[in-house]
Amino acid sequence: MLTVALFAPLLGALVLVATSRWSSAQARWIATGWSGVSLLALVMAWLAFDPSGALFQHVDEVQWVPSLGMAYRVGVDGIALAVATMSAVLFLAAIVYPFDTQGRARQYYAWLLFLHGVSLGVFLALDLLMFYVCFDLTLVGMYFLIGRWGHGEPQLAAFKFFLYTFAGSLALLLGIIALYLSLDSPTFDMRTIIEQQPLAGSGTYASLVFLAMMLGLAIKTPLVPVHTWLPQAHVDAPGPASAILAGVLLKMGTYGMIRLPLAMLGETFARFALPVALLALLAILYGALVALGQANLKRRIAYTSINHMGYTVLGIAVAASLAGGHDEARRLALTGATVEMVAHGLITGSLFLISGSLWQRTGDYAMARYGGLARRAPQLTALTVLAAFASLGMPGLAGFVAEFQVFTGTFAVYPWLAVLGVLGIVITAALFLDLLWRLFFGRLPEHLENFPDLNRAEIGVLGVLALGIVAIGVAPHFLLEVVEASASLLSGGR
Amino acid sequence: MTLWGVPLTPWLLALLLYGAGRRLGPLALGLSAGVALLLTLAVTGLSLNAGTAASYRWSEALTLGLERSMAGDIFAWLVPLVALPVTLYAAAHVGQAPRRLVALLLAFVGAMQLLVLASDLLTLLVAWELVGACSWGLILHRWQEEDIPSQAMQAFLVTRLGDLGLYIAAAALFAGTGGFGYDALGELSGGLLHVAVAGIVLAAAAKSAQLPFSAWLFAAMAGPVPASALLHSATMVAAGTFLLARLAPQLDQAAWFSPLVVFLGLATALIGGLVASCQGHAKRLLAASTSAQYGLMWVAVGAGFPGVALLHTVTHACFKAGLFLVAGLAERRVESYRLADMRLGRLLPGVASLSLVLCLALAGVAPLGAAWSKEQIASAAADVSTWLALGIAVAGGLSALYATRFQRLAFGRSQRQRSSGRPPAWEERIALAGLAFVTLMLSLLWWRPFSEAIAAFLGIVLPKEHAWLMVVSLILVALGIGVGLWATRTSAPEAKPAWQAVLAGWLGLPTLHQKVAGGVMRFAHSLARFDDCVFDAPATQLALGLRGTARGLARGDDRVVDAGLMIAARCWQWLADINARRGEWLVDGLPSALAQGAETGGRWARATQSGQTHHYYTTITVGLGAFILFLLIGAIL
Repeated sequence: MLTVALFAPLLGALVLVATSRWSSAQARWIATGWSGVSLLALVMAWLAFDPSGALFQHVDEVQWVPSLGMAYRVGVDGIALAVATMSAVLFLAAIVYPFDTQGRARQYYAWLLFLHGVSLGVFLALDLLMFYVCFDLTLVGMYFLIGRWGHGEPQLAAFKFFLYTFAGSLALLLGIIALYLSLDSPTFDMRTIIEQQPLAGSGTYASLVFLAMMLGLAIKTPLVPVHTWLPQAHVDAPGPASAILAGVLLKMGTYGMIRLPLAMLGETFARFALPVALLALLAILYGALVALGQANLKRRIAYTSINHMGYTVLGIAVAASLAGGHDEARRLALTGATVEMVAHGLITGSLFLISGSLWQRTGDYAMARYGGLARRAPQLTALTVLAAFASLGMPGLAGFVAEFQVFTGTFAVYPWLAVLGVLGIVITAALFLDLLWRLFFGRLPEHLENFPDLNRAEIGVLGVLALGIVAIGVAPHFLLEVVEASASLLSGGR
Repeated sequence: MTLWGVPLTPWLLALLLYGAGRRLGPLALGLSAGVALLLTLAVTGLSLNAGTAASYRWSEALTLGLERSMAGDIFAWLVPLVALPVTLYAAAHVGQAPRRLVALLLAFVGAMQLLVLASDLLTLLVAWELVGACSWGLILHRWQEEDIPSQAMQAFLVTRLGDLGLYIAAAALFAGTGGFGYDALGELSGGLLHVAVAGIVLAAAAKSAQLPFSAWLFAAMAGPVPASALLHSATMVAAGTFLLARLAPQLDQAAWFSPLVVFLGLATALIGGLVASCQGHAKRLLAASTSAQYGLMWVAVGAGFPGVALLHTVTHACFKAGLFLVAGLAERRVESYRLADMRLGRLLPGVASLSLVLCLALAGVAPLGAAWSKEQIASAAADVSTWLALGIAVAGGLSALYATRFQRLAFGRSQRQRSSGRPPAWEERIALAGLAFVTLMLSLLWWRPFSEAIAAFLGIVLPKEHAWLMVVSLILVALGIGVGLWATRTSAPEAKPAWQAVLAGWLGLPTLHQKVAGGVMRFAHSLARFDDCVFDAPATQLALGLRGTARGLARGDDRVVDAGLMIAARCWQWLADINARRGEWLVDGLPSALAQGAETGGRWARATQSGQTHHYYTTITVGLGAFILFLLIGAIL
């Protein structure tokens, strides 16, 4: 099933590239179809997932270079399943979302499908090498999406994005190779490595491997102070690509932290848990404050991503700390971190799609140029208010379920970090209410007199995402059950 | 019927009303809202009878729970009962988007019902934040106006700052006991207990507009009148006091809890009373009075009589909701909330007399019910200390003062015969009359068997009454009324002395809030610039630099490599030329030189084979020496 989910979009991309006779609408439908197949396969995998079963399920394995321990290996635990399914939903949403492809529809949808496939590859891989290859290939896909369909200074933004994150990937590669070489019988099989915990008890070498991996993943997440590739890439990227960048690509950093350092280098991570948690706290407060200081809509949302990924990293760091007697709190923190990934994907994905719609209507991201849109565009207002409140952690919506668990788990282990971190939610509240005010309330400027409300396709996509946000906020049992099983194996079962 | 029906019914009906009520006129809208609330009341009755607890599982660690309690039962009935006249009034009162307002009011009722039935801190937090969000939406009702969104934002942010207390309290409870239930609070001890209690008091103080958070109520006055009426009487602001009364036994484990609550309550009651006595804006006067009245209830909780606080909440809810409705009607008549512009006694005689009943209740004049509950609070305070009881009596005198001011300034007699605004609609009058009627009926509380029966039914302990305290209270009330009458003797507004203006503005609290907010904004902006200059600039420069280098290399490629190729080509050309000119010499010369060398070598080799032994030995020695030298060099290297 996972193989279907992984290869359907790649196949779709090939189909789109191979023939040139389809129109723009047909290309979109083809892409939607292949992406839908992938999502369907993941949903079936979810339904067949047994929360009380083994850590990794639905495993497919094909040997490739047995002597070096390389193979095509896919499989999921609850965390991977949740993040992968969210990604598939978001890719489908980005593909369906109306977008002006500037006459290159076939290429646009092909690149999106390619990115879809390799992104799922990152989340579904059980092979380190495959993980790394997919991790890097996502950069290629995103580079072309930003560079070719972006606005402003897309070439520079894409170039900076690529260089910065590629430098991170290299650090990650070094870490992976070092880990690989430390094994007795070298293999890239994640299950074996997790079981062996190869570097447990070896001092400096383990620390260096850990730091190299964390640097690579922190750039991708991104954590302060290696975050500045993000705002620029977002501002110049097209709306749907922004949604993917924030919703899916950032998750690779935090997902990687759970999959590699937390699972494979647990003991080393425990030694570094407090510094990582402090960095996460810095990201939470700094990201929120800098976001509040932005006058550009997309930059503001981009910086809130840094804030939200800070919550996730905080949860992961708490889960990694081996403080005794707090097993339940650490499990709660890791569950919260995972739910934050899913929630942030859906919420920030919607917010970036919305800003894409605003750009297509006015060509402007400066919030000062907006105002009073609630009169002209009530549907847009309602959906944005919902997404904004979800992002600021309103109960009943997805963000709260995540942040509450992260804070509660953190408090048991690092009380002061939780007390300081919770201040972040007041700043986020301020920045989102301010955003809503500047866009939708107050007086309507004259140049927006003819601002059209969302069309049906946009409402459909945003409505489905909103439904997901509400479902996780009101009845998160379906998600928490799957995630919690794996979280307890990863955080408490060691 | 489970307890979940109590909050879910108003929510579902709110959605239904908003979705299907597009074509309803004001009357139909008000009536359907009324029906919705009656349904809610019916469901409340059925659900409360059906069970005492209900729960809903999120995950292994997280479960939402509802449970009946004395305080919860009182509120579960009070909230829809107060909302009933308020929604009827709302449908007729606001011109713009009444459907949205009424639906939001219903949703607000649902959130409050969830809050009062919650049995653990997680459920409470959910409801607590939902109530805050609803009030944001209500205050934002007239969003087209420039300053309203910022006021709504201010109200939301101040209360959310308090909500952090609940986040921290819930986390501390979980860290200590592994659960979130109210009953687990009793198992906490040590530092975690203090953290949890402090968090809960912080959240309650922010919601109940106690010092130093009182000023957000002024910002909340930007909302429409029905929203204020509900916000101040039975929902948002009442939530803080409800929480303290509900959890008083558990919170009392922290030794500092009672003194702190008494101190905050009394300070807010006195200062709030002074603020209201100096305010010239009808709604703000009532807002300051709300803070002061909740301050009285806090004193009751701190003195160990949470039940008395709840009784005063009920009497307060009836007259305060009514007074806001009165303020709205007066505003419609003169299109301003300035008390100095009113004196509408001749224009609105009916409203004036209803208002008089409500104002007498606010003033604490016997035999109205509110006076009884206020005297109970004074008696409860006397249980702690005589000075505290006197403080309550003084606060009561202040409330008599501002109640008199409100009534006389708003409905005093003047020569005014006509005004620009509209007269009240009959729905508005009925709503107001209903609240005034209930306020009057509550006078029964003075009838001892009745009040004792109620207290016994609810399980409330009443404090011992003191005759001297009653006398002192009544004297102070009379004094307050007298001062109030004296202060409003002239109709012409005078220039206020500076101290009054400072008092009227909550001693500069709103300015303080704005300064803090401004400071944070400035900090955020400078941090954003810092981020661009320090973190981003190097990366951008690097990218730009690399691009520049790449372009340079591309140019270099043209110049250097290409030029190199040209040079190489020329070199070959040159070599070819040389070859052409000197080729003969090279081709001929090499073989003949080799032949010559071979001939010389041969001759030399022949010479060594001389047949003489000493020649051979010499050659062998030299060869061996060379070999050893070679080995030595290899060993050293």
